[in-house]
Amino acid sequence: MNAFDYRSPRSLDEALAVLGEYGEDARVVAGGTALVTMMRQRLVQPSCLVSLRAVQGLDRIETDNGGLRLGALATHREAETSPLVRERIPVLAETFRRVATVRIRHMATVGGALAHADPNQDPPVTLLALGARVEIRGAQGSRELPLAEFFRDYYETALEPGELVTAIKVAPPPPATGAAFLKFLPRTADDYATVAAAAIVTLDPDGIRCREARIALGSVGVTPLRARSAEALLAGEGLSESVLRDAGEAAKTAVDPLSDHRGSAAYKLEMTAVMVGRALTQAWEAARRAAGTR
Amino acid sequence: MAHRIVGQPVGKLEGLGKVSGQARYSGDVTLPGLVWGKALRSPLPHARILRIDTSRARDLAGVLAVLTAQDLPNILVGRRMFDMPMLARDRVRFIGEKVAVVAAVDPDIAEEALALIDVEYEDLPAVFDPIEALQADAPILHENPAAYEGAPAERPHPNVQSVLRFKLGDVEAGFREADRILEHTFRTQLDHQGYLEPHAGVVAIDDAGRVQVWASNKMPFRLKELLSQALRLPPEQIRVNLTPIGGDFGGKGSLMDLPLAYHLARVTGRPVKMLMRYAEELMAGNPRHPSVITMQTGVRKDGRILARRVKALFNSGAYAAFKPAPSVNLGGTGMGAGVYRIPNLLIEAFCVYSNNIPCGHARSPGEPQMVFAGESHMDMIARELGLDPADLRRRNLLRDGDHLANGHHLEHVRASDTLEAALKASHWAEPKAGSWIGRGMAMTHRHIGVGFTNARLRLETSGAVTLSIALPDTGTGAHLVLRQVVAEVLGLSLDEVEIELANTDDFTTDSGVGGSRVTHTGGRAAYHAAEKLKAQIEAEATKHGIPPGALAAIARAAAKDGRTLEASHFYDAKAHAAVTSFTAQVAEVAVDPATGQVTVRHFTTAHDVGTIINPIGHQGQIEGGLIQGLGFALMEEMKTEDGRISTLSLGDFKLPTIQDIPPLTTVILQDPVGPGPFNAKAIGEGSISAVAPAVANAVADACGVRILDLPITAEKVFFALREKVAR
Amino acid sequence: MIRLTVNGTAHELEVPSYRTLLDCLRYDLGLTGSKEGCGVGVCGACTVLLDGKMISSCIALAAFADSREVTTVEGLAQDERLHPVQQAFVDAGGFQCGICTPGQVVSAKALLDANPNPSDAEIREWMVGNLCRCTGYYKIIESIRVAAERSRA
Repeated sequence: MNAFDYRSPRSLDEALAVLGEYGEDARVVAGGTALVTMMRQRLVQPSCLVSLRAVQGLDRIETDNGGLRLGALATHREAETSPLVRERIPVLAETFRRVATVRIRHMATVGGALAHADPNQDPPVTLLALGARVEIRGAQGSRELPLAEFFRDYYETALEPGELVTAIKVAPPPPATGAAFLKFLPRTADDYATVAAAAIVTLDPDGIRCREARIALGSVGVTPLRARSAEALLAGEGLSESVLRDAGEAAKTAVDPLSDHRGSAAYKLEMTAVMVGRALTQAWEAARRAAGTR
Repeated sequence: MAHRIVGQPVGKLEGLGKVSGQARYSGDVTLPGLVWGKALRSPLPHARILRIDTSRARDLAGVLAVLTAQDLPNILVGRRMFDMPMLARDRVRFIGEKVAVVAAVDPDIAEEALALIDVEYEDLPAVFDPIEALQADAPILHENPAAYEGAPAERPHPNVQSVLRFKLGDVEAGFREADRILEHTFRTQLDHQGYLEPHAGVVAIDDAGRVQVWASNKMPFRLKELLSQALRLPPEQIRVNLTPIGGDFGGKGSLMDLPLAYHLARVTGRPVKMLMRYAEELMAGNPRHPSVITMQTGVRKDGRILARRVKALFNSGAYAAFKPAPSVNLGGTGMGAGVYRIPNLLIEAFCVYSNNIPCGHARSPGEPQMVFAGESHMDMIARELGLDPADLRRRNLLRDGDHLANGHHLEHVRASDTLEAALKASHWAEPKAGSWIGRGMAMTHRHIGVGFTNARLRLETSGAVTLSIALPDTGTGAHLVLRQVVAEVLGLSLDEVEIELANTDDFTTDSGVGGSRVTHTGGRAAYHAAEKLKAQIEAEATKHGIPPGALAAIARAAAKDGRTLEASHFYDAKAHAAVTSFTAQVAEVAVDPATGQVTVRHFTTAHDVGTIINPIGHQGQIEGGLIQGLGFALMEEMKTEDGRISTLSLGDFKLPTIQDIPPLTTVILQDPVGPGPFNAKAIGEGSISAVAPAVANAVADACGVRILDLPITAEKVFFALREKVAR
Repeated sequence: MIRLTVNGTAHELEVPSYRTLLDCLRYDLGLTGSKEGCGVGVCGACTVLLDGKMISSCIALAAFADSREVTTVEGLAQDERLHPVQQAFVDAGGFQCGICTPGQVVSAKALLDANPNPSDAEIREWMVGNLCRCTGYYKIIESIRVAAERSRA
């Protein structure tokens, strides 16, 4: 790594001031798993690193209007093992559990992973399906953005220069809802997903038919993405082979995978349909259990 | 014969420093004034170097030296064939070839300096595929390979490094008598050895002008010779100091960066450390050769093999320098005959130059490639003939008195016993648990290595015995094996035998670690030295009238006479023994028809072995090799496009993790007939080669698709299944 | 200037901003037990505990450890006595070349600190980030089982 200024502000305001001072030459670092690795590979060479590690209060995981608010500095491991997350939104805890390895989860932070915006990551997929909102802070104040509007491109977000992610907020799922996150790992257990799929199914009062389904996918485009065309097919339907097949096929039209070491674009396209079908099945069954119709 | 210490499951006492963090590997060596060397590498696969401007790098604070080929003598290096420059001179031949080297006060500054070196290149036509490299109009990598020192004479094309040929009988005549001739072509991937310690070395020129070397190199004496050649220094001016090696698997036998570290040390007057980053290992290490192998076998309807022709192309990359064998080829090629008696046989293996990473030796060099082809081919033949794959093998297995492809005569052949043991333990004949589950078998054998080792024993006045040896510890547990051998012979307890690691000043020679030889050669050297010491001890005891078991008293009595009881032995095994070690393996897999994903539900490995000296270490070799074989079978691949490797980290090039290993059954057939001490054989390379074909055969059994190229990815199985349905 | 406590000893160091925690331990403090394997946080050879939690020191800056406590492999043995995890790796053959071993034993210690009685599945999930090319992992699992059993006894 080349030399850089290392700043470790004690407060958010101080951090924002440093960011303002250095402009686009500064990078914010939290856990460092992505950024320090890229710096070591000389892919990025910031002239200033602004560490949030000494900023107090950014790592809280707390309830928020019946939902959850995960502070940006909470680690993946804290999100995974938080009794609050496990109880309120177990699929989110399970998603964090599937990221890389325990050691990396001790380091990588919830906010850092969002700001990094690598489409091969797992938590954004489930968070997208959950309709999460990102809390952003800049010199001009705070704003909130639906996660769907946050990811712009490969490693690109809606963050303006000088802005930081401070938290992610997740609304509580409605009753009779089930969720599933699937990470397809055809190589090793510690790999990035070839395809990741999250599905959230909310049933009608009959406890059988789908009222609303939300499907999000990872590793199949330049950002994590929603398969809205597939979701649209599910409203009012009961679980059946043909519905799952149609949803899987529709999901394929939503994705645009790149070929890489984890599979060719053609294979990821096919696996998108398979994983959507499997995630929907699991989510649907969980929803029925929640509705008491199974 | 019952032994006291040999055969005991002693834990890894040789590794106390390893678990405590005290063991000093070459990368851990530090010296006063030490500086860091880093190499700039070519971004192009084949290009002329027009100009190198190092001025900006030289000006960077903390940089002590920048060298290019112009600053070095024009010497080519290698292990057997000397065809590689230390730094590219005028021309680069692969992406990752070193073009300049920097010394700086810390590794980050050295890397920053590399980024400041400007190199102007002019692209040259390049060739990447070994078949294309052998076309008449292919770009030529080396104008006159025959002129290189150590170059084999036979060269049907300028892009051929070497040809290795095994011939028995008359293949054409055999084919004429055959009912069927079956031909299949297989491909294996570029695969790294996967050791977790990248190449590391420290070179210092001491006050006496001697070159002190600490290196992750498993053959210290050969290293001394090679450095002497590369540096044009008399061998006695070089001392190689032994350190533990953080994984070898065949890959740690070359000079790698050491000549450059020497030149940096010479220019800066400082000790120089060069550590490769893992990305550099994956770009420019010396990985396992990828292969294209065609097998043609003539059989009778009853399954008897009458003749086989094998043609192997090994994509060797830009230089032959990393291959150590006199043939400059891969000895495992002989495994084209498998574990079968094939009266008419022709195996030809071509190592081919291309603008790719130069390849070297990897655990059981050439065999995983050849055995994947051969054992897949056997199952395909069985299927064509409507025979059970076990029956086809039974009909053709080697027996006592048979000869291998290389002419070696065999005795104590336990091929059949080993196969039957594996089949029984794997419940081969029993029904499978459901559809999409399959079983596959594969067999191989591995020689017991030869070479030469020096051992010296000294009786201390404490009554303990010190074993001095210049064999580096690559992790196989060999040092503990040697202690067990000495303790057994001398009637000592294990903690009364200590290892003292010698360096290249202490002995004249040693063939080092490799080729499944150390238990044999090191063990026999230690064994015979112990016998000699025992005789001395007995004579001394008699002389002084001391009981022969009172070692401390004997040593002290000798010391009073001004003597130390010492014994040395040089053991040199030149020819292979008439025994080998057979392996039979059975994989049981499940295939997910929706994704093509292959899950190994269970793995059975059966081994015909000699006397086991340390069961824990022995089993560790079986397990480690097997999982390495499983990685080769299912996931490991250095993906290359136009000479550019895109899997440049262990995040992209994936090795099996602890969550990726199958339930395992090991069957041991112990037979005390090996050439090693106490009739030991070898085990280090026995379990790796048959894994991939066992898995491939199991996949074929599970879902009817035959994967001909490794690794067997879910994607390949998925699309093959889809194609099968379409048909 | 950073202040950190390593294996119970406090240090004050002036290091360049780019110094990784791993290089700081190895080259500024001479604690070469922690190794660099992959250099990208995958292999686990550089595993250390930061305030008791295992991390990859190769992708952590030394500055991240400012005012914090680091435990390395050198800090596991007490008074020349191997930690029970280290002893179990010796007895059950949980290593060969040893290059990954410092990371393995540090991770295994952290596991047993958090969960003294792990199932095989829990061992595998915890240890998935510690690659080993030599052993095939069977004896690593066995070593951790042995260490856990001995601790219970």
